[in-house]
Amino acid sequence: MTSTTTTLSSPAQPAVPASSPAWLTWLQRHRQALVLPVLFIGAVLIFTSFAPGFLSLDNLTNVARQSVYLLIVALAQMIVLIGGGLDLSVGMIVALASVVGASVMAAVLQAMPDSPGLAIAAGTVAGLASGAVVGVVNGWGTSVLRIPAFMMTLGMSSVVFGVTLLVSGGVPIYGLPPEFGEVFGFGKLMGVPVPVLVALGAVVVIYTLLEHTRFGRHLYATGGNQRAADLSGVRTRRVSMYAFVLSGLLAALSGLLLTARLDTGESNIGASMPLESIAACVIAGVALSGGVGRTLAVVVGTLLIVFVQNGMNLMQVGAYAQTMVIGAILIAAMALSRK
Amino acid sequence: MNALAVHEEVKNVAAQARPVLRVRGLSKRYGTHLALKPVNLDLHAGQVHILFGENGAGKSTLISMIAGANQPTDGSLEIGTHTGGFTCVGEARRHGVRAVFQEFSLIPDLTVADNIVLGEEPVRAFGMLSKAAARSQVRELIAGLGFDLDADATVADLPRGKQQMVEICKAVRQNPKVLILDEPTASLSEHDTKALFALIERLKAQGTAIVYITHRMHEIPLIGDTLTVLRDGHLVASVAATTPESALIELMTGRTVSADIYPALRSDLGEVVLSLRGYTTRSREVVDASLQVRAGEIVGVAGLVGCGKSELGQACFGLHKIDAGELALNGQIHRFAHPADAIAAGLWYSPSDRKREGLALVRPASENMTLSSLAFGSARGAWLRRKAESSLLRHISSQVDFPVPRLGEAVGNFSGGNQQKALLAKGLAQNVNVYIFDEPTVGVDVGARQAIYKYLGELSAAGAAIVLISSDLPELLGLSHRLMVMRGGRIVREFARDQFDQHQVLEQFFD
Repeated sequence: MTSTTTTLSSPAQPAVPASSPAWLTWLQRHRQALVLPVLFIGAVLIFTSFAPGFLSLDNLTNVARQSVYLLIVALAQMIVLIGGGLDLSVGMIVALASVVGASVMAAVLQAMPDSPGLAIAAGTVAGLASGAVVGVVNGWGTSVLRIPAFMMTLGMSSVVFGVTLLVSGGVPIYGLPPEFGEVFGFGKLMGVPVPVLVALGAVVVIYTLLEHTRFGRHLYATGGNQRAADLSGVRTRRVSMYAFVLSGLLAALSGLLLTARLDTGESNIGASMPLESIAACVIAGVALSGGVGRTLAVVVGTLLIVFVQNGMNLMQVGAYAQTMVIGAILIAAMALSRK
Repeated sequence: MNALAVHEEVKNVAAQARPVLRVRGLSKRYGTHLALKPVNLDLHAGQVHILFGENGAGKSTLISMIAGANQPTDGSLEIGTHTGGFTCVGEARRHGVRAVFQEFSLIPDLTVADNIVLGEEPVRAFGMLSKAAARSQVRELIAGLGFDLDADATVADLPRGKQQMVEICKAVRQNPKVLILDEPTASLSEHDTKALFALIERLKAQGTAIVYITHRMHEIPLIGDTLTVLRDGHLVASVAATTPESALIELMTGRTVSADIYPALRSDLGEVVLSLRGYTTRSREVVDASLQVRAGEIVGVAGLVGCGKSELGQACFGLHKIDAGELALNGQIHRFAHPADAIAAGLWYSPSDRKREGLALVRPASENMTLSSLAFGSARGAWLRRKAESSLLRHISSQVDFPVPRLGEAVGNFSGGNQQKALLAKGLAQNVNVYIFDEPTVGVDVGARQAIYKYLGELSAAGAAIVLISSDLPELLGLSHRLMVMRGGRIVREFARDQFDQHQVLEQFFD
């Protein structure tokens, strides 16, 4: 510009360079949304080719049944993550509910050997209640004492593990009503395993809760921006308290179903649940920073993890190597979906 | 006349010299969208080059490429012997280009001094940090700049305006050749704005080339030399900064905008609907505040950053613990423990920081707009009512002029002006009759600003009582029936509309 008075500059118009091909830009833009389907289809293709009997009806039913326990815990984790938290105590809640539920069932059955139904009901209520209590403590610690969810639930995880060992003495709890395992562990209704039906029920309830109720909206908003949610009249402390209680209840439900499957109350189950549930959520696009996540995607994310475990079993990959693969998948999913 | 001629001559001499930085055909493409069409720009030593345009016109894209924060799709930069783009901010800095963006790059938990020397810390033997040297260097720097800033304060504790000054200190510490300032005065008080302008004059004298983005038109002739207008990613024109406002707005928007951007004030006022008596917060950020607002009335609240004007609004909304005094809303005395109670009683507060306090950026605009209304009025109940919600959304979007087809997009994807509209739409989603707006026009362009003023005028015409908290004095003078000035947490003076005088109001800002 040679003069300071009203000089209109005429920008030269160099040819726009040939940019990367359209499909590549499309891939780039939808990278985050593509991670889950690509991983899922990739896993299915690999195992169909290398794992004998992977796609058989028997094996798929087996996968569905194996997925139930992780799926319910992953849904619990998803609720807390969407609300801007993190629940590392889910695994120990699984064990706690198993031990508490089994103890109560065995005690009631011993007192009243003729009413197994009552024993099952009492044990179920006690197990769920134990999970809810842990959820209340987690919620209180994070929203009232303002302890970061990571520390609060990590600490509670240790506390709950101790309680579980105290209650059980570290040994399996026997003496459950046989009907418990027969129905909730191995039962089938119209050809579908009962635990699978329970998990489907949980999926429907949580989907509805998140997509169609005020609580769901408030949960997403709380995780998306807690301060803004508060200023919009959302009582965010209450919302995150509910999130942790729901998480505790669901983890306990998973623990009870596992107890039915094992026919004993066990204190040494659930240790891998925190990592695997977070992995299922993260692969499914649930944001660790809160506010983002879809129920159905988490279902697919869980199935992916169980498919990988199942496929590796069929290919006779050892348990140690499997643990490594799950961790690696989590890291790979994070790398692919990062912004 | 003579002085002006000399001035022009000086400018011409400067302009004929070789530019410090030349921008040649710089363009940026995101996916298929050409955010910035090829731009040519020369930055000269000792001149302030103003970039002017609506939100989303491409100003931010352009400066982020000059500063190395973003890489051009095509075109080049020439500075000294360097030709081509910058691959990172560090490279731009090595060539003497520094930028102060609206998004700060400060570490909240460090002190002001630590932040300013970050990356260029003074060291003693064996690479040990010399904290004393850092502190004294920073104190010297701050004193030299004439800023009102405590070197030992923790950045997180500072209001946004002070953080802005820390950023500016950081940028000018190493005497940059090119300094980019993106709306630096948006959150500054009048006093700090004056200090900043004095600093700009000094940098000009030292030969720094300055790129300055602002939406405040009155600043342009004060500090600008040249002005470049961007519109929809195009460089529309480069003109002298003395070009009349109306011509600039026409260049910016591509249409003529009426000179009077303020709506007519309603003259018939109703009952008193909001009344504060001796209102005092536990934090003492608000002390003994008394205030009455009538239906249909707009009461402005002015004052320096940190004078307690924002806290006054927040305290009404249940965000601060109240030690003394009372708040009456629609004839009933309340003490709100949570904003939900305040909204239920008919009060709305719109926060100043839309990103931190106003919007959940990852969620769709639609969810943000209706969030506050889900618990109240016809939407009450555990279940969402999608049909009622979408008709409400259409209604409130059109009231604030928000693009309805884009309601489903994450609100973080929108320009500042549209985000601000989404924030304002939230206030319309539920049935309230008293509104407190905290800086409703911060960082928005003239077009959006006018839409916001119209919205305030319509609210008032519909009988709402409005408290307007703002750092923009012309806007307060243009919109308010009455004006309160706060200082040190107290309301120190009230002005009726016929007493409005910019100088008298400003005098009340200071002790």
